[in-house]
Amino acid sequence: MNTETNNGYMLLFRGNEWYKGLSPEEMQSVSGQWMAWFKRLSEQGKAIAGNPLEPEGRMVSGKNGRVIADGPFAESKEAIGGYFLLNVGSFDEAVAIAKECPGLPYGAKIEVRHIASVCPMSEEPHVRAEPALAQA
Amino acid sequence: MNPPQNIDHEPPAAEVSQAVEHLFRHEGGKMVATLTRIFGLEHLTLAEDVVQEALARALQTWPFYGVPKQPAAWIMRTSRNLALDVVRRRAVFRQKEAQIVQLMERESPSSDKAIFPEQEIADDRLRMMFVCCHPLIPSEAQAALALKTLCGFNVREISRAFLTTEAAIAKRLVRAKQKIRQAKIRFEIPVGEELGRRLDGVLQSLYLLFNEGYKASSGDRLVREDICQEAIRLTGLLVEHPAGNQPRTHALLALMLLDAARIPARVDGQGNLLLLKEQDRSFWNQPMLARGMFHLAQSAAGKEISVYHLQAGIAACHSAAKDYESTDWRQILSLYDQLVELDHSPVVALNRAIVLANIHGPKAGLDAIGAIRDGEVLNTYYLLHAVLGEFEARLRHSKAAARHFQKSLELAETRSEEQFLAKRLRACEDQIRN
Repeated sequence: MNTETNNGYMLLFRGNEWYKGLSPEEMQSVSGQWMAWFKRLSEQGKAIAGNPLEPEGRMVSGKNGRVIADGPFAESKEAIGGYFLLNVGSFDEAVAIAKECPGLPYGAKIEVRHIASVCPMSEEPHVRAEPALAQA
Repeated sequence: MNPPQNIDHEPPAAEVSQAVEHLFRHEGGKMVATLTRIFGLEHLTLAEDVVQEALARALQTWPFYGVPKQPAAWIMRTSRNLALDVVRRRAVFRQKEAQIVQLMERESPSSDKAIFPEQEIADDRLRMMFVCCHPLIPSEAQAALALKTLCGFNVREISRAFLTTEAAIAKRLVRAKQKIRQAKIRFEIPVGEELGRRLDGVLQSLYLLFNEGYKASSGDRLVREDICQEAIRLTGLLVEHPAGNQPRTHALLALMLLDAARIPARVDGQGNLLLLKEQDRSFWNQPMLARGMFHLAQSAAGKEISVYHLQAGIAACHSAAKDYESTDWRQILSLYDQLVELDHSPVVALNRAIVLANIHGPKAGLDAIGAIRDGEVLNTYYLLHAVLGEFEARLRHSKAAARHFQKSLELAETRSEEQFLAKRLRACEDQIRN
């Protein structure tokens, strides 16, 4: 990722439920296509990192992090199941990549976010673009 | 869950679906059988859910990290860990924990195979086969249950193959599971005399499952070919197991392989059904034919001769002919003569009449059809009228032939059948005019 040239984009794969109803055959097929997709993006230098996330986690809150709670915190259809970190030239290109996700025909949902070049907290407040959602 | 181990961090060159054919489906089927033994047959659905979750975990992680070195072992280990979660959470299973832990302890650090010994897995799968094909479960439900639990098809895929609704298939599955509970069907391989009887039931169910996939009359073609492959795989598992390794099992497997080897030649580029006469024999799957001939030879051990032996023999005659003209019709007829003695189905008799006509002419064929016992049940079968039309046409009785083709056309079920019959009908009408 290169935040200085403003090319960082994040694909967030939302939902832990969409694949639950697939048959083993369909799961294997999606898994294979996904692997090939990620491999191609990596080879093209467009994907810099990608990881799945475990459904369970801990939430730290409260002053000085006094409150620590266990559990999944988002509804499972909203929970983030994994992410790709992209290095591409434009929002449109990141969205185009999201549209190639092999899970889309089965109901996968991908949130595309531009990585801020400068910490937004240090800037004047401004109208932020709505995140683009690529959806089946 | 801990991060999966044994993962290659370089994504593999080949896609997983190409790397291991039907890996998820077949590993899933194995694990459902093994977990069913541990949970008890009354918790079959729970075993299915655990395995489904394990496969979902694979789908969640493999796309990022690549296929683990031993994908089958990965799926097993994940299923086992999820199963442990289940038994620890649910009081009814508390006493099962030791059983699963015991299985875990068998795991040696060097080999993943030791988690569940191969033989135990094979036994569990065979037990599951005897359950799915239990005579108390209605045959249509048997097929659905076998496809679901042993072959990892989901309800949507099964409904597509059987041209029915998902709700209808779901209902069949629920009823089959109710029957298993009510009749207290046991998760076991029968022994002694019962084994022979029950094995006949299993063979019959696998034969019907194969036919369900093989018949070209309806449904999604790709799913149907998969069903043929699955029927072959299950029968193959049966011949490899001491409880199923009988000459008639080999005969059934030979029959399936020899028939399935012709599938690639059965339709033309437009999806039209081709007659044996019209098929390009170079499309026949030669390795599959060879496997079929091997099992046909195996089936000759011992004295018994079953309907599967005779049908496999007939299929072998067709496969052995280098072209349609060199088909050994006399050999085929002698096999049909024996088959009609064992199998009184009018459909078998109709097929015998076709062979007879190939040797002794269309008149002999018509006479043989006239002599079929209970032939009236064929009246609604499009093929009877198509065959009658064909015989009459060869006798140059164009008007009679046209009448039969017309009737056959009314009964045909698929577009390719209709097109074929319409073509024959037009030819007869042309002859009547000239």
